[in-house]
Formats: sequence, C-alpha cells, structure tokens
Amino acid sequence: MQHISTEDLVDYMDGRVSDEGKLAIEHHLSKCSDCAELNAEIRLLVIRLQEDTTFEPPAELVQWGVSLFQPLLQPSTGGKLRKLIATLVFDTFDRPVLAGVRRVGAPPRQLLFRAGDVDVDVRIESMEANDRITLVGQVLSTTAKFFDNTPVKLESHGVVRYRTMTNLVGEFSFDEVPKDTYHLSVDLPEGQITLFCVHRGNS
Amino acid sequence: MSSTKYKSLGDPEIISLCLKGDPQAWEALILRYRRLIYSIPVRFSFSAADCSDVFQAVCLRLIEHLGELKDDTKVSSWLITTTTRQCIHVRAQKHRESSTDDEFDEPADPGHSVEEIRIQSQEQQNVREAVDQLPDRCRQLVEMLYFDTRNPSYELIAQTMQMPVASVGPTRARCLEKLRAVLRRQGIR
Repeated sequence: MQHISTEDLVDYMDGRVSDEGKLAIEHHLSKCSDCAELNAEIRLLVIRLQEDTTFEPPAELVQWGVSLFQPLLQPSTGGKLRKLIATLVFDTFDRPVLAGVRRVGAPPRQLLFRAGDVDVDVRIESMEANDRITLVGQVLSTTAKFFDNTPVKLESHGVVRYRTMTNLVGEFSFDEVPKDTYHLSVDLPEGQITLFCVHRGNS
Repeated sequence: MSSTKYKSLGDPEIISLCLKGDPQAWEALILRYRRLIYSIPVRFSFSAADCSDVFQAVCLRLIEHLGELKDDTKVSSWLITTTTRQCIHVRAQKHRESSTDDEFDEPADPGHSVEEIRIQSQEQQNVREAVDQLPDRCRQLVEMLYFDTRNPSYELIAQTMQMPVASVGPTRARCLEKLRAVLRRQGIR
C-alpha cells in the first residue's frame, strides 16, 4: 500500500487538495493506521504552531518586562543612586474575609513592603464613585529614626505621575489619583526603594 | 554579543550573564519565555488586564529568583508553576471581590482544569523549544508560516527565503518532519 506523504497530509489539512484527492486521502486514512497516526500527530503539531501567536503578549508589556532589568539587576557604579527592591511582606488581600462581617464597597487594602531595615506601610482606598484611589503610607525604619522630608514618587507606564514629600513622621499621601498600575519609589539617602505594582490598574 | 548568540545559549548561561549585569541576556530570557508566561493567564480565560498583571508579577518573581535558578536547566517548569500559582491567586482575589455575604459561592474551580493548563502549557513550550533546535532555514520557514502575525503569503515567504513558490509546500513538509523528529528524540509525541 502506498502511504500518504507528509506534504499531501499538510495540503489536505490546509484544504489545498482537490475533492477527488480529499476523498482518496480520507479513504486511505480510514484503512491505514500508520497514516492515520501520522495525520493525528502532524495535525496536533500544526495546531500547536498555529495557536502560538494567540499567546503573544502586547509589545509594551514585553518592553516593561525587559526594562525591569535596569533598576533591579544592573550593578550600581560610583556616584549613582543605589536601587533597592522592596518585597511585599503583608497584604490584607491575602487574608480571609471575616465570617459574618457585612460591608459596603471594597475595603481599604493594606500592604507592607520591606527593603533592608526600612518598612513602607501603604494603605489604598478605592473610590468606586469616581474610579480613583487614595494612597497613603508611612516610611518606617527598624531603628528609632523617622524619614521626614523624603521624596516619594508615583510612577506609571515608565513616567513619574505624582510627587510628594514625607512629613515629620515619614507619612505621605496621594489623594484621589486615577486608577492605574503604579510603582512607588522612595528616595532615601541610602538609595532608592522601589515598590513594584503597589497598585494594579484593574484591582 | 549578538541577539542570535543569546538565542543559542542555554538557560543556565543566560541566567549567569543576567547575574553578571548583562541587560541583553535578560532581554533574551524575557523574549524566550514571553509566550509561555502569557499563555497561562490566557488559558485561564483572564481579561487582557489580568493577563498583563500576571505577566508583570511573574517577571518580577523571575528577576528576584534568578540566583536560585542559575543551575536550573528547566526554567520553563519553574515558570509554569509560578505563573499557574499567580493565576490561582488572582482568580481567588477576583472571587473574593465579586462575592457578597448574601451568596453562598462555590470555591473557585477545582484543580482538574489547572492541571490541564499546566500540561498544555508544557506541551506548547516543548514545541517552541523544538522549533529553536531546527536548522536555521527550517526555523525561519516555520516562524514565517506559523509565528508571524502578519500572516505572510507563500509568495512573500518564497521571496524572503529566496526559493521558488512551488518549493514552499514540500520544504514545509520536510521541516515539519524534522520538527516531529526533534520532539520524538525528546520522547515527546
């Protein structure tokens, strides 16, 4: 028995064969288990190849991922500001909701980030009415000192959108800013602490 | 080092270069795994915004854990596990946000479909890695035929590959055979 070539099978899958050729291939596939197996394998392979483009992330998202390297991994050189990444150590969203507690609207979200001996406490309140958030926080040290008069920046899509300074006890506030994905950075004498994705656009 | 060179490097070499502060190595790593990472929230049927959130979170985790992954030859497995966990986390958050006290909601989907997503993601990644192992000309043809979002015609492919239009079909069949052979050598069918 003459087996079907891979080329003919691929043409058959693409609908590039005549009606007569299609019937002949289908007849052969119903009789020949080797060709039926090859057909199934090639078909699955082609599907996997074809569907791969549907998993392509948007170019700007890939660029965001690529740009992460700059602040996080590049070794600091003399004179340049040292960059520190803060890790999330507590998030109220990860805590179970109290049973039986009734509420209206989303509760404020409380997050605690840590970088070395500096803690940054952040509270985010969402205002559903105007689709904005208020973000308040405090920069704290494990030592007794307060980080007063310290620049704090809120950045989205690679641009600094809002700036403020901490008060005497290290508190800062960004009132009613539009919902977006924000990275927050605090410029300390020891270096710049970055809190990645302190708020995500749709949360 | 050219971007083609990075493409031919294994994960341990690329991670080692990242840890030495090479930004092009990090770019190569993100480009290598971008579709794998993004495919998992897509398979979870997340919105575009949630897919982006998951992608960002996983990129951050990857950069944080590079030191632990430097000897790992299977970064893809780590990424599948990490991305799947992140998706489960996001799904649980969404579930909590949308539920009210008056509802008695079922917990988010049980693990069965999650396992299927993991298997499908791994299989898809195996095919991507097999394509990377094809001879250059075959890889270029497969990429143009299947990965190019512009959907180039046979005529354009023939022109780019400097081959007669009539040769595209037979060459494609030979390349698919080679791809199948690469997967079979790895015990994947």
